[in-house]
Amino acid sequence: MLVLEAPPEARELDSWPMDDAVEETAPEAKRPPAELRALFEEQAIPFMDQLYAAALRMTRNPADAGDLVQESYVKAFAAFAGFEQGTNLKAWLYRILTNTFINSYRKNQRAPYQGTIDELEDWQLGNAESLTLGRTTRSAEAEAIDHLPDSDVKAALQAIPEDFRLAVYLADVEGFSYQEIADIMKTPVGTVMSRLHRGRRLLRELLADYARERGIAVPEPTRSTT
Amino acid sequence: MTDCGCDKAKAELEEYLHRELSDQDLHDVEEHLAGCEDCSHEHRVGITLLERLQRACQEKAPDELRQAILDRLDGVGV
Repeated sequence: MLVLEAPPEARELDSWPMDDAVEETAPEAKRPPAELRALFEEQAIPFMDQLYAAALRMTRNPADAGDLVQESYVKAFAAFAGFEQGTNLKAWLYRILTNTFINSYRKNQRAPYQGTIDELEDWQLGNAESLTLGRTTRSAEAEAIDHLPDSDVKAALQAIPEDFRLAVYLADVEGFSYQEIADIMKTPVGTVMSRLHRGRRLLRELLADYARERGIAVPEPTRSTT
Repeated sequence: MTDCGCDKAKAELEEYLHRELSDQDLHDVEEHLAGCEDCSHEHRVGITLLERLQRACQEKAPDELRQAILDRLDGVGV
């Protein structure tokens, strides 16, 4: 049920170690429960810090993040007999985490649901696509981003739409490939790219705003109409 | 030496940053970056943002959570 699909074609730069591991029956199904438990503890439990950090980005509070991670681990363990050893366990766990979040938590969180965010036009998101930035501005921007406190960076992440936040987190923090993110978020690669692009744009704008509030000089970009 | 130009490079900088480009496009963007200060600055902002996000998101799961999960696994049949 929770087996990841192989991508439609082999990738050149990020090889996905699951290409021909889809149809076979998992040999782990025959492992005795004690052995499976030990294997799970050895292989899956070490991802807990990462999953917790991701859950914090999703739920935006420690209590719900803890519950989400716990529920995800219980589900993962229950499905672990079907996990194909040698395939990407981290991506498998993230897929379970994301599914669990969407099915159990997102429903209870903020209404209205942000599901149509991908359809919003750039101007509705305040997208800076047409901004002209000079070199000085960019150097100042990089400098400011680098020196802002963690609390500002997390606040900016929390402020952007959920689907964008998750795509950025999975790519930038976790280093998943676009295809892996597409599998985790169950969305086409093109949508992943668009979410990443818009999410990172919004983050840059927010961080520049925060920097200005802190008195760090980041020149306002000039709006271009072209 | 055929520079791909700022438009193509800027459009592909994010995929370049995430190592998603094909060999040919990767080569084109790298070649352009080597000679274009403006795009290099833009790329520098992209790297900075990525690294800053990584640094900010380093939370550790609380010990109680770890223990609660291990305890619950004991109650789950496989």
